Amino acid sequence: MTSRSRYVIPLLLLAAAASIVLPLVHPVNGYLLNLFMQAATYAMAVLGLTVVLGYAGQISIAQAGFFGLGAYGVAIGTTVLHLPFFIGLALGVLVAGLLGAVLGASTLKLGGHYLAMVTISFQQILTLVLTNWISLTRGPDGIRNIPRPSLFGVSLEDSDRYLGLCLLVLYAVGVFVWWLKGTKLGLGMQAVRDNELAAEVVGVDTYRVKVTAFCLSALLGGLGGGLFAGGFGYISPDQFSFNESVVLLTMVLLGGADAAVGSVVGTALLILLPEWLRFLRGAYLAVYGLAVILIMVFMPTGLWGMLSRLGGPPRLRERGVPDVLTLGDPDAAAGGLLLEIKGLAKHFGGLKALDGVDISVERGKVHALIGPNGSGKTTMLNVLSGIYRPTRGEVLVDGVKVSGLAPHELAAAGVGRTFQNIRLFLSLTVLENVVIGAQRPHNSAAQTPDQVQRRAMAALDFVGMAARADLKVASLPYGHQRLVEIARALAGNPTLLLLDEPAAGLNLTEKQELVGLLKRLAGHGLTLFLIDHDMNLVEQMADRITVLNFGKRIAEGAPADVLRHPDVIAAYLGEVPDDAAA
Amino acid sequence: MAIFLQLLFTGIGIGAVYSLVALGFVLIYRATNVVNFAQGEFAMLGAYAMVVLTQDLGLPYWAAIPISLAVMGLIGALFNLGVYYPLRHRSFLPVVISTIGASILLTNSVLVGYGPAPESLAGMFDFPGIQIGEVFLDSQYLLIIVVTILLVAFQYFFFEHTLLGKKMQATSQDKEMASLLGIPVARMIMLTFIYSAILGGLAGILVAPILFVSVGLGSQVALKAFAASIIGGFGDVTGAIVGGLSLGVIETFGAAYISVPYKDAFAFLVLFGFLLIRPQGIFGEKVAQKA
Amino acid sequence: MPLLELHGLSAAYGAVEALKGLSLHVGEGEIVALLGSNGAGKSTTLRTISGLMKPKSGRVLFDGKDIGGLHPESVVRLGVAHVPEGRRVFPGLTVKENIMLGASNRPGVSRRELEAGVEEMFELFPDIRRFSGALGWTLSGGQQQMVAVARGLMSKPRLLLLDEPSLGLAPLIVQQVFRIIARIRERGTTVLLVEQNARTALSVADRGYVLETGRLIIEGKPDALWNNEEVRAAYLGGRVTAGV
Repeated sequence: MTSRSRYVIPLLLLAAAASIVLPLVHPVNGYLLNLFMQAATYAMAVLGLTVVLGYAGQISIAQAGFFGLGAYGVAIGTTVLHLPFFIGLALGVLVAGLLGAVLGASTLKLGGHYLAMVTISFQQILTLVLTNWISLTRGPDGIRNIPRPSLFGVSLEDSDRYLGLCLLVLYAVGVFVWWLKGTKLGLGMQAVRDNELAAEVVGVDTYRVKVTAFCLSALLGGLGGGLFAGGFGYISPDQFSFNESVVLLTMVLLGGADAAVGSVVGTALLILLPEWLRFLRGAYLAVYGLAVILIMVFMPTGLWGMLSRLGGPPRLRERGVPDVLTLGDPDAAAGGLLLEIKGLAKHFGGLKALDGVDISVERGKVHALIGPNGSGKTTMLNVLSGIYRPTRGEVLVDGVKVSGLAPHELAAAGVGRTFQNIRLFLSLTVLENVVIGAQRPHNSAAQTPDQVQRRAMAALDFVGMAARADLKVASLPYGHQRLVEIARALAGNPTLLLLDEPAAGLNLTEKQELVGLLKRLAGHGLTLFLIDHDMNLVEQMADRITVLNFGKRIAEGAPADVLRHPDVIAAYLGEVPDDAAA
Repeated sequence: MAIFLQLLFTGIGIGAVYSLVALGFVLIYRATNVVNFAQGEFAMLGAYAMVVLTQDLGLPYWAAIPISLAVMGLIGALFNLGVYYPLRHRSFLPVVISTIGASILLTNSVLVGYGPAPESLAGMFDFPGIQIGEVFLDSQYLLIIVVTILLVAFQYFFFEHTLLGKKMQATSQDKEMASLLGIPVARMIMLTFIYSAILGGLAGILVAPILFVSVGLGSQVALKAFAASIIGGFGDVTGAIVGGLSLGVIETFGAAYISVPYKDAFAFLVLFGFLLIRPQGIFGEKVAQKA
Repeated sequence: MPLLELHGLSAAYGAVEALKGLSLHVGEGEIVALLGSNGAGKSTTLRTISGLMKPKSGRVLFDGKDIGGLHPESVVRLGVAHVPEGRRVFPGLTVKENIMLGASNRPGVSRRELEAGVEEMFELFPDIRRFSGALGWTLSGGQQQMVAVARGLMSKPRLLLLDEPSLGLAPLIVQQVFRIIARIRERGTTVLLVEQNARTALSVADRGYVLETGRLIIEGKPDALWNNEEVRAAYLGGRVTAGV
């Protein structure tokens, strides 16, 4: 916790308590109460968007639809089915959540534009259904006389009391969404948003995380809608149209999509703003549209994002002495083969990037894969980490076939990796990046959240970056980003670590430090499979070397032998084009 | 049989409009990798431009059409400068949101000026149409079909047989490389927006006498057109045309034989079906998304 | 006066500095090789010269004019052609169309001149003539490389920037490509060549520069660089032969 937030949180709590108590003791006029009620219920739906858009980076333009489902749940539940209010509310929330899950599950594999369009379509269909299924929804006339509940024998019929309930729920939702951000699920969402491929490779089941985010967002939308119905007593289809979805979207963007507080601020502003901007009359939606464009161009992080940047750089937290990192698998001493690659082929159309390669890597050894650029090395690593499906052949880790698994499943099986062009979660801190690595499924070294934090710090300490844990990873120089990426992989306690050109872009000193680090890793018995062009490094590190050229293995053996092999010299350095020589 | 043919004719006519808007989608998508969610608003604006010119200013049809299209070109240019260009280096999400913002802005600006009541626009021809046996070919529908065929032919010629067309294709395939060759990428993108806006505007002008001119015209047509381009295979020109025509036909038959109030839902049901079973569409490569 | 001069050139990708005050020069008619490991800043140097990246500081002088920060479209109009890494042949256009578009920097060039230019390129690269009507993506790596170079030459450049022309090519094809590079110089075009494959590059170059993390380490004649054990071992992946 930074010292800044030490003041912010009590202040927020105070404001929250005051907002609930004040209307009870000091009468507020009905019009203002209505505005607050609208703001409070809308804010819940907007918090849903914080989860799906802000955290997970997935666009949804159907939030008013889910809001409407919750509202109609309460309205139909209480007035048609004569259920108690809270059962109706639960019904609405459930239906919203279910539809959200179905919609998300069917389109989130595609993502991007498809999701945007499908949510818009859903929104339109829902409006059609609400308008035309007259026997259930009473069509365009809407439903009147929706009752308010009582809670623990206290009637909430009074508007100021009901508002109290809404605010209480809103604050609970707000705290939940704020808390979610730091949880395993929340970090997984942000990882998906920042770099979906890297998220998969460190063990985040990106599809499941996206569907969960979408579903949660729908649930919160439904909750807000349900309370909205009780608050106003009357609902009709046009209150949940595409336009309202847009309003909700504007709210979340204005406030700052990835902060719970920002969403509430954004909502409050846009509900109160039209009151101040009454002179605009019908034009207020046009102004919203303009605002969306202007926010995107000039204020992409929203109001809250701008405010938090004013607070200056993050202060570093004092942490105790980090644990010593435990590494390598206990069977390392037993020897045997950890990684077996058999007849592996990967074709892209007519291009044979890998063409029947066999490699065996012994447990606890360092195995290097070398070859000219374009010889298939990175393709090999991408197959090994599940990013590509092999065209032919198979890969065994510890005797278990892993080829064909998704990257997150491979991560769960203990295969970690780094990328040649470093892939970090750039909007997160150094520690958060590494924590996401430590959270990989089946990480025996870190099972509880506390262990995860300790594991992450231990991994950072191992690579010498513990002092920079609280910095934004994007602010680090290149060499340090590389170390953080290695720490992220180590935090997951892999049995096999794949390193894609770890020395690329490092200078001589940094390279020597890297060699030292890798030697310490090898000393712990961790099995390393690495690609690099720096023969110096490869020769110092590797127990065995495999040479690829044009997707085929052309040599394998101990470094001293392989590097003197005439075929290797020819392939690696290229033939000297005699007649072209000046 | 006569009813079948009659419905088929109507379906193709309305489908041709979806195709034109879908073409606009696809062209902008290929040039910028961004889906322009305001594409339908171009159709709406084109229709309103005709209303202003013919009814408020009393211009004859033949004069109003070129002026409307010129205005649309200008709007396309402004759209590029205001909505896309400042965000061109950012990821797809901000750009998509920005085009959604533009769509809201355009719709509601017109709403402020003209109110929610729909305007009606007369058809282009005085004669109602041709009777062939039991099938009546409405003149406006015939016009839509003919103009669509001409436009598709023009577009084919332009992209396949002119150097400018090739430069625009190169821009859509690899912007950085195109700029290295000296192709003015910014200008190519500008041209794409101008052309797409004109295409959208033309669709609006053609469909206006059939559908009434209202601010909802844009989103109504755009959603169908987008569904059409996904069904055809996103980013594929042939796919956009085939998808648009099929959607028009499906919708017309659905309304005739199943349900009128839910007419607008059929397009989305077909879309969901495709997303679940064949997300790459009829002609698409198996590349789900680029973003 | 050298054709190209870089003075204290710096460039960065976000917070990551890729070039840190690089200075070098290329004389008219020379072939100069930029060497170093992946990530040393070789490609960034070319990208900054051709305008794909804006320099953070420093100057790029071409024929005495500062072209640093100009748009790529303007740079190529001045006579600098950049054939980037990975060839970047337009996949959906034919070979002939690809090559033709290379002349986009010359305004008002007639269709006839274009056809003549393409014909000239097919004479220089006879192997790709028969693919004239084939779409770019259907070609092999070597053929694509030739299309990419031909496309670059269509702009009639005074300076050709070549990024890793040997990438992913078989040795025989690499030889062919480098023979063409030598021929390009004979036609009067200056070449600045980025190569990971140091030995091949040095075999055609007049001079070489070795980069590391965006800085210049050493400059010299090919022999001097290659025979410097330390340089070869540290930067040119030279361990392989050092032990022989």
